Amino acid sequence: MEFLSLLTPQFFVLVAGGTMVGILFGAIPGMTATMAVAVCLPLTYSLGLVDGLALLLGLYVGGISGGLVPAILLNIPGTPSSITTTFDGYPMTQKGEGERALKLAIYASLFGGLFSLAVLYLFAPALADFAIKFSYIEKFLIILLALTVMAALSSSLIVGIFSGVLGIFISLVGTYPTSVGGNGEVRLMPEALIPYLESGFALLPVLIGVFGVAAILAEAAQGVREETAADRLRLTTGKPFSLSLFRGQGVNLVRSASIGTFVGILPGVGGSAASVLSYSQEKNFSRNPEQFGKGAPAGVIASESANNGLTGGALVPLLSLGIPGDSTTAILIGAFALQGIQVGPLFIGENPQIWNSMIVALLAANAVMFLMMYFAIRHLARLVLIPKYVLYPIILMMSVVGAYTINYGIMFDVWTLLLFGVLAFVGQKLGLEVAPFIIGFILGPAAEIYFVKSIESFGTLTIFFTKSPIAMVLWVLIALSVGLSIYLARRAAGRGPDDPAAERGA
Amino acid sequence: MNSMLTTLGAGALGLALATAPVAATAQPISGNLRVVVGSTSTGGDTYQNASIVAEALGQKLGVNVKVDPVGATEAFKAITRDTRGNTVMIFHDQSYLGNLYGVRGYDDIFETYRIGPTVAINPGNAYLVPKKSPYQTIEDVIAAAGEGKRVRVAIEPGGVSEIGFSALKNAVRAKHPGSEGNVVAINTGSQADKNQLLFDGQADVIHGSVQANEQYTRLPETDQKAMRFVWLTSSRDVINQANPEGIGETGRDDMLKYVEPNTVVPRADGQPFVFDKDFFFIYNAKMSDEAVAAIDQALAGIYADGKIQTTQKNAFFIPNFKPSGEAHAYLQEKRDQYRQIIEAIRQ
Amino acid sequence: MDGGLSSLLAVSVDFSESHLFFPRIVFAVLVVLFLAVLVTKRREIAASAGRLRQEVRDTDRMRLLGTIGLTVAYFLTMPVVGDVYPHSGLGFYLTSIPYLFLLSLLYLHVRRGRPLLIAAVNAVVAPSVAWYVLARLFNLSLP
Repeated sequence: MEFLSLLTPQFFVLVAGGTMVGILFGAIPGMTATMAVAVCLPLTYSLGLVDGLALLLGLYVGGISGGLVPAILLNIPGTPSSITTTFDGYPMTQKGEGERALKLAIYASLFGGLFSLAVLYLFAPALADFAIKFSYIEKFLIILLALTVMAALSSSLIVGIFSGVLGIFISLVGTYPTSVGGNGEVRLMPEALIPYLESGFALLPVLIGVFGVAAILAEAAQGVREETAADRLRLTTGKPFSLSLFRGQGVNLVRSASIGTFVGILPGVGGSAASVLSYSQEKNFSRNPEQFGKGAPAGVIASESANNGLTGGALVPLLSLGIPGDSTTAILIGAFALQGIQVGPLFIGENPQIWNSMIVALLAANAVMFLMMYFAIRHLARLVLIPKYVLYPIILMMSVVGAYTINYGIMFDVWTLLLFGVLAFVGQKLGLEVAPFIIGFILGPAAEIYFVKSIESFGTLTIFFTKSPIAMVLWVLIALSVGLSIYLARRAAGRGPDDPAAERGA
Repeated sequence: MNSMLTTLGAGALGLALATAPVAATAQPISGNLRVVVGSTSTGGDTYQNASIVAEALGQKLGVNVKVDPVGATEAFKAITRDTRGNTVMIFHDQSYLGNLYGVRGYDDIFETYRIGPTVAINPGNAYLVPKKSPYQTIEDVIAAAGEGKRVRVAIEPGGVSEIGFSALKNAVRAKHPGSEGNVVAINTGSQADKNQLLFDGQADVIHGSVQANEQYTRLPETDQKAMRFVWLTSSRDVINQANPEGIGETGRDDMLKYVEPNTVVPRADGQPFVFDKDFFFIYNAKMSDEAVAAIDQALAGIYADGKIQTTQKNAFFIPNFKPSGEAHAYLQEKRDQYRQIIEAIRQ
Repeated sequence: MDGGLSSLLAVSVDFSESHLFFPRIVFAVLVVLFLAVLVTKRREIAASAGRLRQEVRDTDRMRLLGTIGLTVAYFLTMPVVGDVYPHSGLGFYLTSIPYLFLLSLLYLHVRRGRPLLIAAVNAVVAPSVAWYVLARLFNLSLP
């Protein structure tokens, strides 16, 4: 227990401070956990590795968790991985259950965080060995599995799938970058627009544009009416929270946290896939899937336990392969490099003190996250009472900050914000669906790389089926996911008005 | 926070000792300085190097310096817009290798921009094979390709990762004319993807680095992940300047086994091919001579103080300061040499 | 691995053209799906024309177009002002104040008294806090 001497009061102050700043970054629309860690990375030069990591891990856990606040209260995901939290969190807020949804999400986050931490601590090296069994092919199939959930999240099967494929298509605009093995050529744009579009559309501005800016435009189109006094009262006086909401959610919690952790472990699949997968699994297995999207507590639980499950998961490949599992851990690697500490397959064995202190930091960060958010909730929930004429301009301003800084200062990303805000506003009027579009947009680039590289390596399509037992298992899951979606769409169609799309999809 | 105070104190002392000539030139760079980096990663060597240099430069010039890893395309755009010298770029040999390989978006930096001083070398550019591989050395690889064996090398196309591959191909061409087609590139991206190709048996040799792959070389041969260095592209002189401890368990003497003259990938003229990954400044072509001189002078002062060298060596960089004029000639000569190789294997 | 099926499924990708390989597939799927939507949803599409016309008529055009117009002006002026004071974030700061104030004004239905005061105070305080904390304390790059 030599490492205990490293755990100074300063260590815990840094964890707590990091978690608090992280929550703030996560809670402000447009600012993300990744940004919080990137911004504070230079501060760690002078702190030493253990204390520096304490700060950064606090920021990481806080940032991922803070994203649930705007997702639930404003329908704007604070971080990309809280998209699915908006699906049921915001409807709960509209029913006056904002506080209830927040508490639910915080408990689920805590569970996800601790679950993945336990997995990290107990099984990191073994899981890393399992993760390297996933080659291009298996990773492509994971992405394909995540894409099939587009169907489950659509209200009309065919329009939803169309929106999703449109999302993939738009995500491919720009350069096919050499940094992922592409040939560096641009595609899908006229010659004249190359200087503007060559870097493509960045995820975060698209996300805030589609969710944040479009929502504000929709409000503006309806005249920005402020709520009446009676409406306002209703916003904070919904059903109260009680722990009994978690009754019967054990399977959901464990499954979602496991999916989150596992997706985190696979480098290159991307964190957002985690909450999307676990949300749709929960919906598919649920006894009343029609409640999802209308304020089902189970949806919030699935989404939040999965995205906090990422934190521990993404650290597995970082600490046992030297490879970051998501965009935030990609920045953490810088902290190690700056202090001259190598991360790789021998890291844990050679640096037990750093390893143990990281585990303590994560544990403390989760505890601090829970306590801070739990006691701040009453005040946070009142966010919905801020008059719109004050709130909306602030959201737009902060979105600009977020969009501009996500790639360290590119003005085009700011224009992306407005462009996608307007497109999403018009698109929704025309009946396009936002959720599948965003999921397609997020997963598109990874799908391309793994698909094209698989074919480049093997030169045949049959390999997708015959590569490995893992590939076959994934095909079974994909078939199940597609089958369930069609079944559910038909059942919904059978009850609701006649919907030819459901049959068409079958 | 103590260490922060010490750093500040030491910086102030250095400033007091060395600012006199800089202050006399009436500050050609006023306001904040933004250093854009040609890679988008904050965990990579370019960002790390730029941070070390930027911090020292900020103290010396007395300005606020910010390092932004915006990536090559956006970084070139950013310096193109700013003629005042408030935006400068730090990048490495990729900046001209991209042009040599014809990657879109890479202009000839020697014509389009102004070359600033070099600051350091990353000596860790390496090639590895699985520990179970029949190839013990890079000479074995060259010989195998000469005997008609197909050798797949995982690289990131169009730059630093590809130049060693090109040299390898060129060496096979020189020793076993007509067999160079047996050396094939597997184009991929991140280090993770390159490692994965090795684990999958989809590549025989991968490009990597001492920093990222050293721990893999210490795994037992039975481990699927175990690797072995076969070649470091740096020159012997450069490796000799590294700290004797090296990295992890791989000391300087171990590394010397993988560079010339112990490990040789010959050029067409029989001399060993070497590639040192240099980090240097790139400016807007119209940046004033005064601003260029100010940065040169400030860096000369920083390197004369001698503190930055320790920081760089601890981070496994080899200090290599050349003022802008010298750097221009040095880099252009490197470029001309690599152009010959790339053109030779293209035919 | 012989037989017709595996040779049928054999694909090779030319690296220099590989940037178009996947986009072409996606585009083809997109076109097929678009046609499918047109066919299966033709009744809804026909019915929606009237609804859309009604919606356009009910739109608060001043507030919608005002938001877009102000935002475009905001984005255009920001880098210009920022260029006067390079890399200080002042372009963001100085343009945010009028942007926030005008936007609040646009959204208000009663433009006097307490709401007006709140809008004015907010327009000054919010950008100041954001600029100070992010550009000064955290050293973020802002326009």
